[in-house]
Amino acid sequence: MTEAPQTGTVRCEHCMQEVAANSALTAVIDGQRRSFCCHGCLGVYELVHSNSLDSFYTQRCDWKPGRPSFARIDPADFAEQVSSDGQTSRINVVLSGIRCASCVWLVEKVIGRLDGVASARVNYATRRALIEWRPEIVSLDRILQAVSDIGYTPRPGNQAASVEISAGEKRDLLLRFGTAGFFSMQLMLFTTALYAGFFQGMESRYRLAFQLISWALATPVLFYAGFPFMASALRSIKGRALNMDVLVALGSLSAYGYSIARIFTGGEVFFDSAAMIVTFILLGRFIEAGSRLKAGSALVALAELQPGEALLTGDNGEAILVPIERVRNGQLIEVIPGDRVPLDGTVVDGLADVDESMLTGESAPVLKAPGSPVYAGTSSLTGHLRIRVSGDARSTMLSRIVRTVEEAQARKAPIQGIADKTAGLFVPATLLLAAATFAWWMVAKAAPVTAVMNAVSVLVIACPCALGLATPLAILVGTTAVGKKGILVKGGDIFETISKTTTVVLDKTGTLTRGKPSITDCIDYGISGRFIQHCASLEAWSEHPVGKAVAASWKGVRLDVEAFRSIPGLGVSGLIGGEAWYAGSSALLEREGIPIAPECLRQSELLEKEGKTTVFVSCSGRVAGLIGLIDDLRDETLEMIASLRDSGLRLMMLTGDNEGVARYIAAKCGITEVQAGLSPIGKANAIRTLKANGETVMMAGDGINDAPALTEADTGITFGTATGIALESAGVAILNDDLRLIGTLFGHSRKSFSIIRQNLAWAFGYNMVAIPLAVTGILHPIVSALLMASSSLVVVGNSLRLRKY
Amino acid sequence: MESTFYLIGIGFVFGTAAWFLFQWAVRSGQFDDPEAPKYRMLDDDDEDPPVKSPKP
Repeated sequence: MTEAPQTGTVRCEHCMQEVAANSALTAVIDGQRRSFCCHGCLGVYELVHSNSLDSFYTQRCDWKPGRPSFARIDPADFAEQVSSDGQTSRINVVLSGIRCASCVWLVEKVIGRLDGVASARVNYATRRALIEWRPEIVSLDRILQAVSDIGYTPRPGNQAASVEISAGEKRDLLLRFGTAGFFSMQLMLFTTALYAGFFQGMESRYRLAFQLISWALATPVLFYAGFPFMASALRSIKGRALNMDVLVALGSLSAYGYSIARIFTGGEVFFDSAAMIVTFILLGRFIEAGSRLKAGSALVALAELQPGEALLTGDNGEAILVPIERVRNGQLIEVIPGDRVPLDGTVVDGLADVDESMLTGESAPVLKAPGSPVYAGTSSLTGHLRIRVSGDARSTMLSRIVRTVEEAQARKAPIQGIADKTAGLFVPATLLLAAATFAWWMVAKAAPVTAVMNAVSVLVIACPCALGLATPLAILVGTTAVGKKGILVKGGDIFETISKTTTVVLDKTGTLTRGKPSITDCIDYGISGRFIQHCASLEAWSEHPVGKAVAASWKGVRLDVEAFRSIPGLGVSGLIGGEAWYAGSSALLEREGIPIAPECLRQSELLEKEGKTTVFVSCSGRVAGLIGLIDDLRDETLEMIASLRDSGLRLMMLTGDNEGVARYIAAKCGITEVQAGLSPIGKANAIRTLKANGETVMMAGDGINDAPALTEADTGITFGTATGIALESAGVAILNDDLRLIGTLFGHSRKSFSIIRQNLAWAFGYNMVAIPLAVTGILHPIVSALLMASSSLVVVGNSLRLRKY
Repeated sequence: MESTFYLIGIGFVFGTAAWFLFQWAVRSGQFDDPEAPKYRMLDDDDEDPPVKSPKP
């Protein structure tokens, strides 16, 4: 039932991808003609329709076009995940293919309608389904098959466990934070009354009652909500490595103990401070857990782009479906229109528009022809491709990106390290100071109670929460903010180094320029007709970027080329219509003994002065013409250079290209310091020299030849389209390839660190003023309690400002 | 002024009730998925006659 309507493309009814009208499937359903991209989509549509769930199609929103996946599932993988309580069994599976909220609805309906299924709940945020069923009525295979039939792939729930914190852990945190917040609020009520009573006078029995109530309210906050800190503090003391939790525990417990003592000796209590410390730190953890969960599910979504199976071409030319792990380097695989490319490789046969947006952020499809590299996870929109696989399933660009992101998340440690290092100094210092205070008051012949109280108030006032939150919170908010713009920062320490950068080193090819030359001049000496057609036909076989640019400039009919030869580093040759054609450098023509007229050499020198590459073309032993090409600046280069210069950075260009071209490009974008003709190691050495001179260097580059330099630099920046090795060597990846984001990154990083400095200045300033007063015993408890609470609020509020930046 | 103590007592009862409600809500998974409910309310949850089981 296929037919070819007049229009060029139609939209698949199910997956909404555009397909060429003549390759679309058409089916008549309920008297309506509907088009589909493939049998899979048609099958799903029929299934959904037959279940009268059509409102899925009318209601769905935010659906991103994309083909459903029909991976084979093995129920044995799920067996150990099943838990059972006599009558019902339950399982938690990860669903891939959930694209929009309507998918949640569809899956729930389809599973829920099976006989014997007690409940099916799909979590949109984590893409997990919780299914409960009665095994004597319906089998798990049957349920999973039903999900798979409508184009979603269930996977055992443990697969993504490494990047997600478990639901139980998150619930626990929420319970503790909620409890802490709830009791702290109640506590504030009574504390406010006590404060008011302090100023206005208060009957002593009310005061005592309120103090006792405060005690009762603070206790669960400290010992239930704060239990993780107490336990961790104890562990860290036992392990003799003081961490932040020791400060939290010390601060809150001493405030708590001090207040209890005050109830009996008469005086002001500050249970509120004790509870506040715990509540604020829990808030920080809760925010962090939320962002980690989001990052985790983004990662799962990214990893899902890689199909699990590939169509392997066997020796007899037949294609068989095998798991991607079984495909070896150098084997041939097929990709049919609408499918995702399962592995990285090179096209050997076929033409197709490929959507690479998930890797490059570029929405326009890229035409892939024999010789073009293709990447796993990209999808072929129009054509049939045969691909020679390079590498294996673990070495694809996509899996490298996933690993990079995973690494970035694991590298939270340095930030925590900063806080722990601070704690490592701060805790003993505070303890010493408290001991000194006690000793001083004892020597001054004060009552032992006064001495103890003053010592404890030193501990209380050295409130750690502002200090503890100052750095991690600001870095967390800052990296999340740039992440939303498509900048991936591998760790908080890198974020810090960026703000200290003094020199930015830029690679020329592919960073400042497009990395693809285009023809600017064509000088035809009139030796042969249709000069450019001949050149394009000859260069069509070339793998060199210059050759490809020449070939791309001619859209018309190509002439037949015989005896094509590629002379590495020089050019190409071939026979067209019986005439010998050469295209390449002047050295190629010299080698072939073809004379070059002085006029011709002068013209080529002129072109090179303008930063152009010259291709000499000869026909039957005479120079037929010259082609000038230039690798021009990217559109946003000038803007980026201006913004970096405005922020006072020293700019430098390093390139492996020749001096003339380098000078021309540098002059055009206004960079004065240039080093040309450098090898990859030369680039790294140049950066080492800069660093030896006391500069903090940032390097931006995207090629394999930039990798050593990216590693050598204090910060390496690379792009989403960069080669895998560059991606691994760099600390920052700009995923959507927009140079201007370098400026944005600087802005954010500097802003974050100025906020951290403000936070620390506030936290330390507060301590500097308050601690001496506490030591001398003249600081009013009420003033200190207010200061303590406000210092944490200032830090939290100040850090959140970064989100709006 | 005795009323203050009664009010505190009543407040305690309400507060504790709210806290238990919160505990129950977290434990029963009310906070597990903050994304879907905003879409779920848009579904017409018309109770269709149950279909035996979808054809494979």
